[in-house]
Amino acid sequence: MRNFRTATLGATMLALLLGACTSGGSGSSASTAASEPPASTAPSVESSAEASAGPSIASTLVLGGPPECPERPFCLVGLEKTYGLKFKEFTPLDAGGPLTVQALTGGQIQVGLLFTSDPAIAVNGFVLLQDDKQLQLADNLIPVVRKEVAVANPLVADTLNAVMAKLSQAELTELNKAVTIDLTPTADAAKAWLTKVAIPATGGGSGSLTVGSTNFYEQEILGEIFAQALEANGFTVERKFQLGNREIVFPALESGEIDILAEYAATALEFVNGGAGQASTDPAATSAAFVTALEPKGLVALEYAEATDQNGFVVTKATADQYGLVTIGDLAKPAS
Amino acid sequence: MNWAWISGNVGAIADAALDHVVLTVLAVGIGFAISLLFALLIHRDRRFYGPISGLTGVLYTIPSLALFGLLVPITGLSLVTAEIGLISYTLLILTRHIVAGFDGVPRDVDEAAAGMGYDSRRRLLRIDLPLAIPLIVAGLRVATVTTIGLVMVTALIGEGGLGQLMLRGFNFRNYTAVYVGAIVTVAIAVVADLALITAGRLATPWTRSR
Amino acid sequence: MELIGEVAAWFGDPTNWAGTPGIPNRMFEHVWLSGLAVLVGTAVALPLGLAIGHTGRGAFLAVTVANLGRALPSYSLLLIFFTFFGIGFATAFPALLALTIPPILTSTHIGVKEVDRDMVEAGRGMGMTEVQLLRRVELPMALPVIIAGIRTAAVQVVATATLAALVGGGGLGRFIVDGFALQRDDRLVGGAILVAALALATERLFTVLERRLISAGLRAVVATKPLSVGPFAKSGSPIAP
Repeated sequence: MRNFRTATLGATMLALLLGACTSGGSGSSASTAASEPPASTAPSVESSAEASAGPSIASTLVLGGPPECPERPFCLVGLEKTYGLKFKEFTPLDAGGPLTVQALTGGQIQVGLLFTSDPAIAVNGFVLLQDDKQLQLADNLIPVVRKEVAVANPLVADTLNAVMAKLSQAELTELNKAVTIDLTPTADAAKAWLTKVAIPATGGGSGSLTVGSTNFYEQEILGEIFAQALEANGFTVERKFQLGNREIVFPALESGEIDILAEYAATALEFVNGGAGQASTDPAATSAAFVTALEPKGLVALEYAEATDQNGFVVTKATADQYGLVTIGDLAKPAS
Repeated sequence: MNWAWISGNVGAIADAALDHVVLTVLAVGIGFAISLLFALLIHRDRRFYGPISGLTGVLYTIPSLALFGLLVPITGLSLVTAEIGLISYTLLILTRHIVAGFDGVPRDVDEAAAGMGYDSRRRLLRIDLPLAIPLIVAGLRVATVTTIGLVMVTALIGEGGLGQLMLRGFNFRNYTAVYVGAIVTVAIAVVADLALITAGRLATPWTRSR
Repeated sequence: MELIGEVAAWFGDPTNWAGTPGIPNRMFEHVWLSGLAVLVGTAVALPLGLAIGHTGRGAFLAVTVANLGRALPSYSLLLIFFTFFGIGFATAFPALLALTIPPILTSTHIGVKEVDRDMVEAGRGMGMTEVQLLRRVELPMALPVIIAGIRTAAVQVVATATLAALVGGGGLGRFIVDGFALQRDDRLVGGAILVAALALATERLFTVLERRLISAGLRAVVATKPLSVGPFAKSGSPIAP
């Protein structure tokens, strides 16, 4: 019986404690509200008419994405409502990580959800389908700072805002490529970029700060850039990278264990508000809502960058050629 | 295998391995001290058995993510948090082995010692503890190797030694780091296990005649 | 308290019982993956354990290797196998297989080793061949310990097969991983309850199996001999956690 007790206890503790950490008071009703896409006001009529002409391309393909995809407006819900797509099957994988890349190259899925700044798209010759009906939310990069720190030291915000002002889409992808494909050490890649964009070092900072990041490589790269830019202005910076996921990082921010974090406006907003569906395709509105949502946690979001890391639907070159796919909308066309 | 990455990152790999060893030694060392205390309590009064085995059993089954989620607001993203997790996982294994070691001492031996005028303290130090060594060493072997494996979970809070090297490699899609982390982890486990076996043999010279 | 109602509602919702993501299919995937791992694990470890126990050779090596296996927990193995086999079953299966072998191997060789040597000698005196000795004396006598080892492996595998969901596989772990990703506690807890129930059922299955397979004459002996401290403790081998 000991084994059974161990297994039961383990499983129930896992469930209960995970639940306790994540729910934050949100009942299950919150996520149903989130499944209403804020971007699309009416389901597309033409695509359903097209679908009646015969089985669509999508209906012959398997979609792979993060486990939450089937209930999220940026993913399966939006693909159905906005684009009128019905896939053959959905395979739950990871949030734009190695599983999705592997499943695409291995042929277990034909359409995958990756991040648009992911260098793996170019390296593997995947085709990023154009989001012709603008499903994707404003996941612009945005620094989150503890309010106490931001108020006490205006130079912190100035430094980070200067960095964000220089961060373009192409440069973000380039940084990701340097680190994940060419295996340049993160610190070297960050240093090279800061030198290139020539952010003026004003100096005058003092005291020590802690920059954190989850285990997502892009957040760590940006964390390193933040750290070096702050150091150049005279701050002492401690780095706490690779801190699991948002379930670890946000409590750490609130308790003052870390002071600064690079985030994505829409996704982080939906994490903080428990999936209330406030994020939209408009970066200004989304980051404003994010600032409001962070207020009670004693945190503040600074200015967002032009660079985004949105969700993008990709197919392999072979699939794109076979069906002549350029946009997501093309998937609604008849299969033959 | 990307050999260029390995040769360019020897320092980082060595640092991760050192972290791994430090995390393990601290966890097993402190865990052993606590377990010995538990086992002595049980040895003295059997009524402690239920509560202690219940407590260590529950600690063993708390998933690390949940444990760290609860601890981070209190002890922060620190070595202390990591060690609390790792130590709590060693207690069940070590306590159980030490108790089994004491229980395995033949009653006649204890009675003979008592007859020779040994008081309970001397019986414990001179008879029970030495005779329990083989099982204590077995427990230490299991606990040490298990902890070497479990160190990985502390990567969640930014520690993790070689486990972090592996997870980071996985997330950065640098699979060489995954393989290197695994190989070095196993190598550390082999060395630690052999060291414990040797220490156990040296501590029990009377078993060597067999 | 609210959560209990939500979980009950989750179990009551017919859409959660239909199709690929439904409870019956996930349960089937979980049982199939775990069952196959235990079967193949037994097919590999049992003969090896019998050979080691019968000849007395390689025991030290087997115990040491089984112990060293703990240095790479299932999650590490998943990362490693993933880089070779990709997503799903192909990665989850070998990781679970690796989990089954140490307990079965250890319990089998210890079970055989602990068989009363006088009985084996008696069999030998009756003219039994080595294979006959193994099959008719040592195996039946060691069976309680062997089954205990397989049971440990099976319950561990059922609990660990949950991890398959982390590499894009199916099984009951899907409910836990998806529930976590969606911040949906009803699904998370529902999944955990199902895993616990399956672990309980596995435990029961082996109790029944034990009653059927162990020879009547041995049952009385087994009943008086607690397995966790009996043969395991004496040989100073790892006590299964």
